[in-house]
Amino acid sequence: MNHAIISCLLANLPAAEAVLNDIDRQGIDTITCLGDLVGYGPQPNEVVELIRKRGIATCQGCWDEDIIDGLNACECSYPSQLAERRGHLAHQWTDDQLTDENKSFLASLPTSLRRDRLLFVHGSPNSQHEYLLPNMDAFAALERVETAGADILFCGHTHQPYVRELRDGSIRVRLQNADHDCDQGEELTLPMRKIVNAGSVGEPRHGSTNATYVIHNDATDEVEIKEVAYDVGRTCQAIVEAGLPKVFAWRLSHGFEFAEQAEDASHVCER
Amino acid sequence: MIERWALVSGLRGDLETYDLIQRDLKKTRGVTALFVLGDLVGPERNCDALLDRLKNPHRGDLKPDCIYGWWEEQLLAERGFRGERKADALRLSQGEDAVSALLNTVNPSHLKWLASLQFGFIELDCALIHGSSSDVGDNLTSETSPLILLDRLTRLNVNRLFTARSTKQFHLELTGGGINSQVKDLNGKREQQQEVPKRSVIGIGAGLNYTLYDVGSDKTHFLTAGRQTKTKGMGFI
Repeated sequence: MNHAIISCLLANLPAAEAVLNDIDRQGIDTITCLGDLVGYGPQPNEVVELIRKRGIATCQGCWDEDIIDGLNACECSYPSQLAERRGHLAHQWTDDQLTDENKSFLASLPTSLRRDRLLFVHGSPNSQHEYLLPNMDAFAALERVETAGADILFCGHTHQPYVRELRDGSIRVRLQNADHDCDQGEELTLPMRKIVNAGSVGEPRHGSTNATYVIHNDATDEVEIKEVAYDVGRTCQAIVEAGLPKVFAWRLSHGFEFAEQAEDASHVCER
Repeated sequence: MIERWALVSGLRGDLETYDLIQRDLKKTRGVTALFVLGDLVGPERNCDALLDRLKNPHRGDLKPDCIYGWWEEQLLAERGFRGERKADALRLSQGEDAVSALLNTVNPSHLKWLASLQFGFIELDCALIHGSSSDVGDNLTSETSPLILLDRLTRLNVNRLFTARSTKQFHLELTGGGINSQVKDLNGKREQQQEVPKRSVIGIGAGLNYTLYDVGSDKTHFLTAGRQTKTKGMGFI
């Protein structure tokens, strides 16, 4: 059976509606959302209410967490003070706009969802703020999936959709300890695991303005990355009219983020 | 010239053990640094005398470089040095009495110094941490999955991780292996191969059991204070 995974809607209602319509047209009725319903975009209440109305199973993203817990969660992941100021501005604006009911909904979201061997998170099993980029160390990537006890890990947060298969792994070790006079050598065979990143509905950063999501077939484990065109101009206009930083509209209209790529994407805030 | 590091942990207020180790080190050639990887304090005995000695070494002592460990983390959390966090891990594992006992073993005049200690040191291509790069309480042993050990090394991009939390002495070397990965995105498919880097995790022991590390030869020696001739480590002292 096919099911759809969406992530990082980021208060972009036209994109969210277009993606859900695309999923509906394919007759898929199981949808999982990997969080970041709000942030940067101009329609936070509308997007949260759409997800609530559709009853879509959702886990909490980093923006959702920060709106509830306050901004001490991870402003240190911003690459520059300018980016941090813009992020704070968007945070404050979103906080002012969101109704108490919608905030309560964001607060109620779990940090992960599990269906048998499938695990759904926003960033990584460790943190909503950790980026699992497609080129990250393969052993570290496998460790995230394996330690979480999953076969397939679905994540978002990077805004770049990809499917990464990790296979044919092994680690040889040699042990010397205080209780043994001789060395012991052994080899660990690593399991095959998969990471599926759903990209971003509301703020794509893969070089195109199209919203992205993925479809997974749980019988064959095949994954299809989908792109959906939507009315980007409508969202950009709403960003400007809302008084949000114009650079958010600019990058949305380019599908790329030059200045605000975190220097250390693997950074996880300890606060 | 021989350069050796002495790595000590889990003293938990035991000045007598520390004194024995210092005496051993005086008799050992080439020890240039003494790293105390946390757990300076513990609930069993008053820790003030040991803390005084660590802060103000005796004449002839090898000067210790200290970091904080799990017990300091619990103490500092309970004393309000970790924001809203309290000694929850200790409370959960050993109960309220253990929290009270810990508070009673350290004079508050030491707290500021304990709070100034670092999480770990990076020396050359080695990380010296009480637990691991993941957490001060990360309990790495020779039984821990090599995949997790490699992850902890990778997070710091170091070739050797010296850890103390488990209290065990072990030297586990990653000697080979690899992994293939295929990434599919909207631009197509890419294959990647990655080899296991030659890296090590070293458990340094606790209390009387400590470790010497030969920087030049990359050899570890597992020792017990007061019994230096019965070493089971590699190489010669």
